[in-house]
Amino acid sequence: MTFFNNYIYRSNKYLGKLYLIVLSLITFGLITLYSISSDPLSINSSFMRQLVFIIFSLFVFFILNQVNVKTIHDNSTLIYIISFLLCFVPFFLTPVENTYRWIDLGFFYIQPGEYLKCATIIIIAKYLSNHHLEVKEGYIVFIPILIALLSSFLVLNQPDLGTAVIIFAPVLPMMLWAGVNGFTLFLLIAPVITIIAASNNIIFNIWGVLMFIIFMTFQGSLLKRVLIYFANIFTGLLFPFFWNDFLNGYQRQRFIDFLSPDLDPMGSSYHIIQSITAIGSGGMFGKGWGQGSQTQLKFLPVQESDFILSVIAEEFGFFGIAVIMFLFSMLIKTLLDIAFKSSDYFSSLVIIGLTSILFSHIFVNSAMTIGLIPVKGLPTPFVSAGGSFMLLCFIMLSLVSNLSKN
Amino acid sequence: MLKIENKADIFHYRTLLFILVLSILTLLSRYFYLQVIEYERYSSKSQVNSVRAQATYAPRGLILDRNGVVLVENYPTYILTVTPYELDNKEVQFQIISDITDISIDELFRRYKKYNQGRFLPTVIAKNLTFAEISQIEERRLELSGFQYKRFDERLYNDALKDAHFLGYLRELDRESIPFLDKSQLYRAGELIGWQGLEKQYETELRYSKGIKYIEVDTYGREINTINDNNIPAYPGKNLTLSIDSKLQQFSKNLLIDRKGVILVSNVDSGDILSMVSNPSYNLDIYRGETTDSDWSNLLSDDDKPIINRNIAGLYPPGSSFKIITAINLIEDGLLDPGDSLMCTGSYIPPGSSNTFNCWKEDGHGLVDLNKAIAQSCNVYFYETIQLIKLSDWTKTAKIFGFHNKTDIDLPNELIGQIPDKEFFINTYGRWGWSERGVLLNLTLGQGDILVTPLQSLRYINHIASKGRTAKLKLNVNKKVEYYDDIILSEQTWDRVIKGLYDVVNAEGGSGWRAKQSEVKLYGKTSTAENPHGEPHAWFNGFFDFEGQTYSLVILVENGGGGGAVASPIAGEIVRFFTNEQVEMVNK
Repeated sequence: MTFFNNYIYRSNKYLGKLYLIVLSLITFGLITLYSISSDPLSINSSFMRQLVFIIFSLFVFFILNQVNVKTIHDNSTLIYIISFLLCFVPFFLTPVENTYRWIDLGFFYIQPGEYLKCATIIIIAKYLSNHHLEVKEGYIVFIPILIALLSSFLVLNQPDLGTAVIIFAPVLPMMLWAGVNGFTLFLLIAPVITIIAASNNIIFNIWGVLMFIIFMTFQGSLLKRVLIYFANIFTGLLFPFFWNDFLNGYQRQRFIDFLSPDLDPMGSSYHIIQSITAIGSGGMFGKGWGQGSQTQLKFLPVQESDFILSVIAEEFGFFGIAVIMFLFSMLIKTLLDIAFKSSDYFSSLVIIGLTSILFSHIFVNSAMTIGLIPVKGLPTPFVSAGGSFMLLCFIMLSLVSNLSKN
Repeated sequence: MLKIENKADIFHYRTLLFILVLSILTLLSRYFYLQVIEYERYSSKSQVNSVRAQATYAPRGLILDRNGVVLVENYPTYILTVTPYELDNKEVQFQIISDITDISIDELFRRYKKYNQGRFLPTVIAKNLTFAEISQIEERRLELSGFQYKRFDERLYNDALKDAHFLGYLRELDRESIPFLDKSQLYRAGELIGWQGLEKQYETELRYSKGIKYIEVDTYGREINTINDNNIPAYPGKNLTLSIDSKLQQFSKNLLIDRKGVILVSNVDSGDILSMVSNPSYNLDIYRGETTDSDWSNLLSDDDKPIINRNIAGLYPPGSSFKIITAINLIEDGLLDPGDSLMCTGSYIPPGSSNTFNCWKEDGHGLVDLNKAIAQSCNVYFYETIQLIKLSDWTKTAKIFGFHNKTDIDLPNELIGQIPDKEFFINTYGRWGWSERGVLLNLTLGQGDILVTPLQSLRYINHIASKGRTAKLKLNVNKKVEYYDDIILSEQTWDRVIKGLYDVVNAEGGSGWRAKQSEVKLYGKTSTAENPHGEPHAWFNGFFDFEGQTYSLVILVENGGGGGAVASPIAGEIVRFFTNEQVEMVNK
């Protein structure tokens, strides 16, 4: 009993820390939004809208906090099916900006694809925890990957490449956490690296040799290892065909932009160049609050959501970025701590999944603003303006708080 | 508590933590590289060569009449804008502008504050710059950093029709109004938007689509280079062709000189409105350029209300034309044989009452059947026969003809008027303060608590002229012809009513004999509507066939006197316009 009390106290200590970090991030976000709104106190400004979203999300947070973990665990299939079906709703509504991602609720839009991410994590966690005795077997990876593929395929048709990719982010960390065999995980990552390496002959050759060495060091049937190795190589060789015949024009364009942002400053690389200029001109301590000329002259596109980190970088400089990166690191670290201390397998896995989602958003968004990866419409948790994702972040937070109370 | 224990491994925990630290360090080092090491390069880039997206404009669509006469076009003017961020010394610079333009410095500051959109965006502070002013600004350019003059199109109205209410006007948007607009993301403060009349109704069609031009600018926002790739061109708005015939409109307007009132002419078959005059009016040029507050308050406080389009927003008692409503109830419900005659002695005393109700003809009409009662507008006939009708039936018939409802014409701010029903009387006079028989004596003559707009009256006469299947009234000639709900009455009822309307104008003793024309068969009904504001309103509602088409007209002279004496001759003039100017009409 003493141990139990002790444990509750400790997990709540982590929760307190978590809330403090979230509060800091939200405040940082609001300060930035205030600076870029031309009339921050009007009801239509992104600042005021964000404030309303936060209050609404807090309300949802407190309601969801009453839900028992066992309810979530026992109904995970139902949660998944509902989220899955919700993703079909936009196909029956009028498209927003030519996509079927959004449901218009009147006061704001929700993006069911976002909620499917959570539901996918929960159902994978349940599968892994139900089959915890078989984690060392290779076949354990198939069901989680199939589930992720199913969700991803649906979202890809909305079409939403960003969310479709993010759905895969939690799968590997969750399997690692569950204790899946290292070689199995390597087999999963290898084709992805092969595809990326296929864009350049030299890198592809180096990777071929490296992969060969790794395959040889692992144990198992030689025939099997050789077959898988060549399957990988063929994937890499076939990728260019896939690239040319399967991807949409704008998806290809995003990759091309990423590879050479300086080629066409007024083309679609415009976003990356403007973003980098804004960030670079911020310097060590920034131009000051409300003084970012790149931002304020509206050179920077979608600055309140996708490029909010560029605004922070311009107005608060490297110092501001360091603070926000510190806060993000602490957010993820605290979540990892909570997952590690969690008393049951299922909760621990769900938290790892949610953490991966948050982290991939942070990483993809920051990397995009500094031109490390192609432009992706992914918001930053707790900082970017936007009702649907803010709500999702708070739902994830309430899940974490529920699971850690167990 | 769930049954399976957490099996998290410290090794896995450390692996993930390692990935986290590695990723964050990667990001931070890139930020550090851009912000600290490469700072000089990006800092100068942000100051010297910035690419700015600038909105470009195209002209708004023109408004034409049915024969292609331009009613509203665009007129280039020059405006002066100021970008707060680029100002050197606000007080001194504003003083220079004040000297050049003769606008007081307080007024300049007031506008600067009112239309401000943010430190980095231009704000309009003066309009209608003359060529002399522009050249002075150009001369002192160096002292005036932050100030820019730009072309800005305003509306120019055709001289003959610059007082036509239905055209409406544009208004300059200020920041407060934008959030309340339908498509607020399309608009910026300082742009013009259709605010009234057709300009508002057809805003989406008339408005240009904005384009985007990418330019390179320096720190002062000065354009140093245009980049031609990826520019999105601006497209002009669509022209709007009206059903209005501007010659007829002008002709009608001249018939109302020095009188308050309305003339409406429409084509019954298509619902096209050919003329829509509302007098008195005012000059739409007041919305151009800078209008002083006193001009405005004079216009708004004028007792004759020139600012109102009386066709859609003037409410009047309809008078005797409503006798047709009673007549339709009588024939349709078989309450009375239309051939039966009653005796009009010049007055009527309702059963159980001591009040006397008089006919307008003091000597009485003698023996009157339905046809004569309509033609000569006998009050006693309708006093007697209304006793057979229930209030609810009467109200229902009036509403079927579109009263107490919008005509759905393509103009904003149309009023619906009022057809009183039982509920209305209870709310107004209390449960015992009125009697059904008593109010019906008033209602049957189109008096009392009834209020209609002239346009509703036009719809009413169109329903009769087309025997129930009537095209919706419209001003846009290209708008698809739609129909009001069909009114289904027996053929006999329509014939009786139409015969009555024919006799009003053409039979001996008909109240509208002054409208009679030899070449064209005109049908109509005069009304003399008593009202609390003085002389009665004179009405004439009618229709006629001409060159295979049916046209209808509504004449209303406010406080003009008798419908027969005042409104009928005007109706006759309108019909004569058609016979004299046939070419214009047959074209469409």
